[in-house]
Amino acid sequence: MTLVLLDTNAYLRLAKRVRPMLGVKFGQKEYVLTVLKDVETEVHRNPKLRDKYPWFDGTDLRAERLAARIPLSADDKDRLEAAQSLLQGWVLSNLDSYMTNGRSPPGETDCRVLAFGQIRPAIVVTDDLGMHQLASDFDIPVWHGWELLSKMRSAKVVQSELIREIYEALEVNGDLTKTWREAKHTAFIKVFGPAPEA
Amino acid sequence: MTMSKVLHSQSIKSALDNRGWTQKRLAEEIGVTSQAVTNWLKGVDFPRPDKLLKLATTLKLGFDQLVESQVAKPVIAFRKKAGAKTTDGHIHRAEVMGMLLKPLVSYLPPRKALRTQIPSPSTDYEALQNAVAAVREKIGIGMQAVLTYQQLIGEFRANDAVIIPVMWGQKRNHENALHILLPDEQVTFVYLNLDTHQEDFKFWMAHELAHVYTPEIAGKDEGEDFADAFAGALLFPRELAHAAYAEAAKQRAKTPQMEVLRRFAGQHHISLFSVFCEVRNYAEATGVAPLKVLAADIHALRNLTRGALISESLFKPQPPESKTLIATSNTTFQSEFFPSLQKMLHERGTGVGYLQQVLNVSIHDAAALHAELVH
Repeated sequence: MTLVLLDTNAYLRLAKRVRPMLGVKFGQKEYVLTVLKDVETEVHRNPKLRDKYPWFDGTDLRAERLAARIPLSADDKDRLEAAQSLLQGWVLSNLDSYMTNGRSPPGETDCRVLAFGQIRPAIVVTDDLGMHQLASDFDIPVWHGWELLSKMRSAKVVQSELIREIYEALEVNGDLTKTWREAKHTAFIKVFGPAPEA
Repeated sequence: MTMSKVLHSQSIKSALDNRGWTQKRLAEEIGVTSQAVTNWLKGVDFPRPDKLLKLATTLKLGFDQLVESQVAKPVIAFRKKAGAKTTDGHIHRAEVMGMLLKPLVSYLPPRKALRTQIPSPSTDYEALQNAVAAVREKIGIGMQAVLTYQQLIGEFRANDAVIIPVMWGQKRNHENALHILLPDEQVTFVYLNLDTHQEDFKFWMAHELAHVYTPEIAGKDEGEDFADAFAGALLFPRELAHAAYAEAAKQRAKTPQMEVLRRFAGQHHISLFSVFCEVRNYAEATGVAPLKVLAADIHALRNLTRGALISESLFKPQPPESKTLIATSNTTFQSEFFPSLQKMLHERGTGVGYLQQVLNVSIHDAAALHAELVH
């Protein structure tokens, strides 16, 4: 089994339409998706996120998140805390690397997600470019959200129609990031075809 | 800004001792040679990031325990809300905000060589009044004049303190103002929560200004005590307290005495409580009989008449658009924060998450400000 941990935004981009999503094995490498408890905290403390994703607190989705949560031993928690502190301290003392080309310095929760990826281990799914840079610096495996969707497509978990629907929703919500946009006519060329000529 | 990187060999050795491990055992756990560990601990080499992370999780040590930093930590002073308790989490968050402000400093205008400093700050009445008199003289106003917002804002500017107006709500945050001094850069950032009652706002600004004048005690308990005492005295010095006392003392009953104090508070745009405290301090220092009004009377009245928030007087409708907030920061508060931030965003292409963290706002508010600044 290969654990795959989604950060809050990556989860919110997919969870409404890919059902069921968490805790289900797929692909040859038996990927299993999970999220941290922080997802709940981040959404619940932000009224605008709650308004934008009203389905988040649906009973089935909440139950799915809870069931797929990975229990951590006391030892795991200590290691997680140490790794999170190390990553955040590193970011703050090397800010220049995390503040250019659309990147933002990964914050406390971002560092916890990557720390989890290191201690379990798990592949981290995020569209945050600063987190990608940090993951790359520390050799933590990381995917963009579209890469996860592409793996799901290869494993026939999602079909072309659903991928089109997801892209459409992201576009309508103003959530289509640059990397998702670029993947549309490369990773998903079979779904959307080649990019129209400028 | 890249720090000199050296491992904190003492805390690593202590962690090894606690486990009964040798350096050789540590090397095996990390997957490196014994010589590599020796070199790390001697400071002649520094681990690659992946090995550093392995070191942290193996020994369960955080960044500060593992890495010696040559960078001075930001100095933090909170203007807390009544009853709020400061936790390690509050301090950590503010320190992170301070670290994030460091890259912005190079985008600020050149700093001034001469700044006002209050030598040997003291809460002794006479010393405080002398300090206040010197500051009022520098600003160019007499002891009985109203100290205006613009004069206060001018003093922040004159002392390289960058105001960051924020809307943190009335209840959400633990603090109403946050002072972050970057010792290496010698720059102070002052976050002012605009969701604050008008009658308190000037006091908080004066409180923050006191921190700017006394960087050596900022962030310490004595710094907070001094800032409170200085703010009250600066806004309502001895000469005003004397005048208010003389007038109020002519009244025999509490209520008319309170009315006199209230009139002075209104004239100076400060709270009734501030006037009351300064008059009480004056009476104590000069040995005259105290007024009949008690602190409890003031609080009872104050709870009934808190008045409007600064944000309500500045912005209609509420909440303001990003454009309006930025314009208010630039003009009303004469702050270099957003212009400098704008330069940085254009030059570096920094993402929205930076604004979210450095302003402690939601990702949506950060995105709106970011969009306004980059277009």
